[in-house]
Amino acid sequence: MQQRRELDQVYTNRKLLNGQLDTPKWWLPTVSILGVVVLIGVIVIATMINKGLGLTGLARPVYWGLFITTFVFWVGISHAGIMISAILRLTQAEWRRPVTRAAELLTVFSLLTALVFPLIHAGRPWRIAYWIMPYDVARGIYPNIRSPLIMDPVAISTYLTGSTLFLYIALIPDLGNLRDRTTGWKNAMYTVLALGWRGNPRQWKMQTVGGILLSALMLPIFVSVHSIVSWDFAIASAVEGWHSTIFAPYFVIGAVHSGVSAVVTMMALMRWLWKWDDFIRPEHFDALARLLIVVATGWLAFTFLELTFALYGQDAPEIALREMQMFQWPWNALFIVFFLTGYAIPVPMWCFKRVRTNIALMFWTSILVNVGMWLERFLIIVPGLARRTPFVYTWEAYTPSPVEWTIFIWSFAWVTFLMLLFSKFFPLVPLFEQKESQVFTDDVMIGRAKVPAIVREAD
Amino acid sequence: MASQAVAHDSEHHAPPPNVDADVVSRELVATTQSASGRFKAWVWGLGILSVAGIVALVLKFIDQGDDSTRWGYVAAMVSFLLSVAGGAPMVAMAPVMAKANWVRPITRIASLFSFAGVATLIMLIPLVAILPPLVTEGARRRTVWYMAPDYSPHFWTTLSLVLLIGTGIMLFYSAALPDFASMRDHSTGWRQRLGKRLARGWVGTDVQWRTLRMRIGMFGTFYFLILVFVNFLISTDFGQSMVPGWRDAIFPMYHTVSGFQAGVAAVVIALYFSRKYMKLEKYIHLDAFWSLGRLLFALTLLWIYFFYSSFIVFWYGRSMNDIATLDLLIKGPMIYAFFAGMILLWFVPWWILIWNKVRRGTAAMVVGSFIILIGLLIDRIRTFVPAWSVPGDQIHEKWLKVIPETVWPDIFDILIMAGGISLVAFIVMMMTRVIPVLSVWQVQEFNLLAKPIRYMKGHATLVAKPD
Repeated sequence: MQQRRELDQVYTNRKLLNGQLDTPKWWLPTVSILGVVVLIGVIVIATMINKGLGLTGLARPVYWGLFITTFVFWVGISHAGIMISAILRLTQAEWRRPVTRAAELLTVFSLLTALVFPLIHAGRPWRIAYWIMPYDVARGIYPNIRSPLIMDPVAISTYLTGSTLFLYIALIPDLGNLRDRTTGWKNAMYTVLALGWRGNPRQWKMQTVGGILLSALMLPIFVSVHSIVSWDFAIASAVEGWHSTIFAPYFVIGAVHSGVSAVVTMMALMRWLWKWDDFIRPEHFDALARLLIVVATGWLAFTFLELTFALYGQDAPEIALREMQMFQWPWNALFIVFFLTGYAIPVPMWCFKRVRTNIALMFWTSILVNVGMWLERFLIIVPGLARRTPFVYTWEAYTPSPVEWTIFIWSFAWVTFLMLLFSKFFPLVPLFEQKESQVFTDDVMIGRAKVPAIVREAD
Repeated sequence: MASQAVAHDSEHHAPPPNVDADVVSRELVATTQSASGRFKAWVWGLGILSVAGIVALVLKFIDQGDDSTRWGYVAAMVSFLLSVAGGAPMVAMAPVMAKANWVRPITRIASLFSFAGVATLIMLIPLVAILPPLVTEGARRRTVWYMAPDYSPHFWTTLSLVLLIGTGIMLFYSAALPDFASMRDHSTGWRQRLGKRLARGWVGTDVQWRTLRMRIGMFGTFYFLILVFVNFLISTDFGQSMVPGWRDAIFPMYHTVSGFQAGVAAVVIALYFSRKYMKLEKYIHLDAFWSLGRLLFALTLLWIYFFYSSFIVFWYGRSMNDIATLDLLIKGPMIYAFFAGMILLWFVPWWILIWNKVRRGTAAMVVGSFIILIGLLIDRIRTFVPAWSVPGDQIHEKWLKVIPETVWPDIFDILIMAGGISLVAFIVMMMTRVIPVLSVWQVQEFNLLAKPIRYMKGHATLVAKPD
């Protein structure tokens, strides 16, 4: 399906720069409210760092709770950018064009947010330095650099650097456009950021080659990030439910499921808020939903294998854990919600074209997916630690405290706040991609049928 | 065969030649009738080897039917043939679902491998007889068939493999109806009669075309699901569950992905020989090799990713299970096979396929594909031979306490392996005598949907994407 519309460049510029050249009425109140929530979150974080982790619900034996779950969740969301931008760019999927910027942005901001959680989870964040530097030089106690706990920050910071670069390179032509339409300090800012962009053939060539090279380079990093996050758990053979060889691809495919769903949510919001009906069209939601059906079904297959092989060993503790996860209150309720929202409700709905092209339904189903995916991470991390095992002399049932919930809510407000702030200065839909898609798509007559067509390179 | 079309073999994204539909039909149907002396010699050679392999399988069953530790190579062969013959038809559907135009002309070659699934079935029959039941001496071994009857793996694996072959053949037949009609209209003798019988009155009405597309979609989806299921059963019941303590959740996926890799490699090889020896350069464009090369490259990377994901968890885990599994499959008797598999399945193909120039050609692509198939065979031997070499009385242990000695192939094993591979090639070659090796209607559709255009100062192709 291709709902191609002939849009001239002036109209495209005017519509897609409406966030930067004008301020929509809803923008300031929304940003202010989000700012207040962010401020409250920052105060709570500061208080927790000052008073200690006793303010959280974490207690022996559950030392990894809401913070680590939310960390994994945001790392997962960050997989949207490279999935949409890099993979779809390399496979020349034409429908990716209006989606790329939002996806890349989501990657950068969700990674920034994810990084906060291990830091605050450490209780005294400054002691994170011991991960990298010798703990005690005199006694020769060095951090284990082979540990995924060291590989993790390295992978995430590499991913963050690469994603930022990726976002910036794709932004340059649009920055040149903004430079030519602004005055004063904004003009000065865009002039500096546009790096002398004039749009000559050489610059376009460099920009295109840069994008393709970065796409190829980012792919291994994209895969490694969530794999390494999964190995934080999988190599721990002492915790039932964690020591599974399937965790790496299972986490990656889950992350893509979650990240692409988040992009759908964001696209629906962009279409409604900035009235970009001509640019973000039902065909884009349709394509994303088709992609999501494949990804979600792959993810379900991995879930099946994970559960099957958990029971395969027929080890009593592992079976007891799975019984607890699926049949004991409150885990069973969470498990049902996880399964319904992560797959059983959205995917059958997406099988119908009418749903795939209905933006409101796509918006709500994509939110459902992320509810499910957050619960999935929670169900992986917490029950394994919470199950009563021999030789542990104290147990506290884990219930996340209000402090943890506040910080959890803060993370969503923070990402949205950053997005809206970004939208004030930079276009959320790439202008040049939009214009390029006008040139690269066409309709051809085959017999009596008008068929959408795309232009492919030829040597 | 007089060609009325222009070959574009020197160009990468060659614009499709403007070939008259009638000429395409006649030329492609004619490929079933002309066979060179070399072709016949190969068919005879492969046929003899196939028969020798089947005879060796029967003799081995008579001679060693009571000793399961001697059947590792046959198990490896079942897994290998399933990968090649089962994975190849995926090329006929996965890119089609993604509306890739380049794949249209080559879907037939890929789907011909469905018939070669018979070779897998032949190899599986004695193995099913030898596979121990789930409960032996009152103890139940580790299995995915938790409470199921004792012979569940035997029954369901056989049934699902038969179902896979049947679905693959139905997928082939659904897509071949218009070509049988072409044979009816452009052929003579038994081929014409066969075409008339199998075309089932095909005249190309709108309803017939709609039904055809629906059937391809339906059988394609079923085929994919059954293929994953069969891979799951073979890798678990005929591999993992034979070793106490080997618990590897990713292994079925690893098995499936390497099957796809082998399937694509097999299609590249078949495509290369068809193009070269059937003079089909004007129909099999370099674009197809380029795209298959990218697919193969991606699958090669996926292979190493899945392997590493499993390996690192065992390596760091350090439990007795983990150590024993590593000792059996990697560090122990199979260490050389492990390195050989790693080099041939990942390092060499990765290094060959990473170059765009290589993917735009045919020779290096076919070399890379052969290397992948050799690597896969070694990798299957690495996993299945040690698994079957575990004596039956140790199968209920918590983990493997004594790593068994290396089992070397005997004369039966060598003949069975040579025969199994030959049988696949033999079946595919024979099928090219029955139906055109390229799908006539899909070649025409390819030509119809891709149009060379001028784009600014250069050339481009306008590719139509119908819903």
